Amino acid sequence: MWLATTCYGASFVLGMVKTRHSFSPLFRESPFILILAGIFLQTRALYFRGLEVHGCPLGNGMERAQFIIWSLIVAFLLLRLLCRINLLGTFCAGVSLLLGTLSLGLKHWDTPYWTASGYVRLFKDPWIELHASIAIFSYGLFCLLAVVSLMYLSQRQALLSRKPGFLGPYLPPIQDLEVAAMRLLAVGVAFLSLSMVVGAMHWTRHPEFVSGAKLTVSTALWIGYLFLLCMRLSNRLYGSRFAKWAIGLFALALLSLSIVSSKVKKQAFHNPSLPPLAHLIQ
Amino acid sequence: MSKQTESSLFLLGTSHQVANLNERESIALPNNSIDSFYQGLNALSGIQECLVLNTCNRTEIYGAADSSFQFDSLLDYFAHFRELDPKFLAKKTYQRTGAEVVRHLFEVASGIDSQMVGETEILGQLKKAYDEACERGATGKALNRLFQKSFQAAKWARTNTGISKGQVNLGNVLCELARRIFGQVDKCRLLVVGAGEVAESALEAFKSRGSEAITVTGRTFDWCPLSRRKPDELAQKFDGFTLAYSKFHESLHLFDVVLASTASSQALLTQEQIVHSMKKRPSKPLFLIDASVPRNVDENAARIDNVYLYNMDDVSAIANENLQSRLAEVEKCRVALAKRALRLWEQMRAQPSLPS
Repeated sequence: MWLATTCYGASFVLGMVKTRHSFSPLFRESPFILILAGIFLQTRALYFRGLEVHGCPLGNGMERAQFIIWSLIVAFLLLRLLCRINLLGTFCAGVSLLLGTLSLGLKHWDTPYWTASGYVRLFKDPWIELHASIAIFSYGLFCLLAVVSLMYLSQRQALLSRKPGFLGPYLPPIQDLEVAAMRLLAVGVAFLSLSMVVGAMHWTRHPEFVSGAKLTVSTALWIGYLFLLCMRLSNRLYGSRFAKWAIGLFALALLSLSIVSSKVKKQAFHNPSLPPLAHLIQ
Repeated sequence: MSKQTESSLFLLGTSHQVANLNERESIALPNNSIDSFYQGLNALSGIQECLVLNTCNRTEIYGAADSSFQFDSLLDYFAHFRELDPKFLAKKTYQRTGAEVVRHLFEVASGIDSQMVGETEILGQLKKAYDEACERGATGKALNRLFQKSFQAAKWARTNTGISKGQVNLGNVLCELARRIFGQVDKCRLLVVGAGEVAESALEAFKSRGSEAITVTGRTFDWCPLSRRKPDELAQKFDGFTLAYSKFHESLHLFDVVLASTASSQALLTQEQIVHSMKKRPSKPLFLIDASVPRNVDENAARIDNVYLYNMDDVSAIANENLQSRLAEVEKCRVALAKRALRLWEQMRAQPSLPS
């Protein structure tokens, strides 16, 4: 995972350098090649971790952060097939570098939960695994939405400063970013809604596995993104305010992951009847 | 290097580097005389291939010749053809031979020798001159190779150095800003209020990028018969539409780019009017350009979300900054082109494509 983070970091640095300087065609494609190398290494690493924990690796903060980065890069690669947005890869690589370094650097994020006595495999039911992976993929899409919103705000700031600036001329047009953001939000909400439906099916059968705090936070986030989509579709929220909302909501989504897990961990510790990792099901 | 090989490629030319506008005008060849000029060139002793580049900023004669060629004969012929004093022509022109010709042509093609550094128009003019010379059968093995390689060198320079980065013409800067806001400039709906020189420059730039929805309005639209640049004339020139001035405020929401360029001493667009029009196009940005002195657009409009207001000082500052960054790249480009030119020259000397 460190190797993957290094690849994303190198991609970010090279992407920034190539915007200002001209290089050979091979060098021009190197940031994208590094992203491909990064996703390959990260997929392998997550696969090995999955073998170790006997399931989808979503058991601690580090794994969730890595899975969100993986989803972000996959979403970026899928979007790249549909349309090219200048510097989107560089910005995604930058966010991956930041989140990846944070998740790998903070040792207490990576607790070896699978070695604890009485560890019960998290995803016995494939429906829960499906629910969790769809939810995390939607987080990847919302992360990409936050990246696009950040690019929107950067371009807006560059235009309002009325100077060429460092990145302004190379960033995508304001209107393209706004269209991309709206589509990402719509697709992200669709995936999150799907994961909520799948999760609700599990919750109605086994309510003891889902804590009240987790249910509240998950539902609040879903309503938050749904509200944002409705406001955007009705043209009540757009432009810079929409971009700030998208970034703020994603920050809340990231924050909510740790709040929910730390609260329920305690309960799980004191309640032997509750599977130790049930709170992590998103 | 032998003298014979050195003189096999030659160049006689003038440009903004050595002559002012009046002098260049007197030296430039009239378009209807190019054919007869070529005929005379071909008749000169020693010239085997030739090509004439004749633009508003430069007149250059490239050629390949054998050892019997004399520069003085070419200078005399040119002076006689344009009815100029040979001493004046010798003073206001430059002469190059051999590797220097290759290097000069590479610099011209890539735009670093242009008055507006990095401009791309010269490459088109060079290609046109080459095509015309080919049609006349004036070029041969040496010039064909030289010019093909110069087109490649120009492409390389534009791709691999920063000499063409950023726009330096006011109209082009406006188009670039519109691109950063809307993406496709040809889809932008442009409204020009007034008919000044900036308006015309902007219209030219938008039109050249395929913009179809061009509308012009102005205060002198109906009632000023003495106006030399009536808006309807401007609209006609650029295949645009005209809009009655009395209706432009209520139609403001229909336009993406609004350029105000009038001599009015009062604000033509107030913040309230812009807020009102933005309510009718809530999620679409509006690009306002105030090219008037005194200003015609309330500066508080810049505080409205999705409104981007620029005045002429802002646009000029961007153009100047872009020009500075281009100039900083010129030396790097010149060194790289010199290496490529030397390599080509050595290849040309090694192969029997040059006249002996």
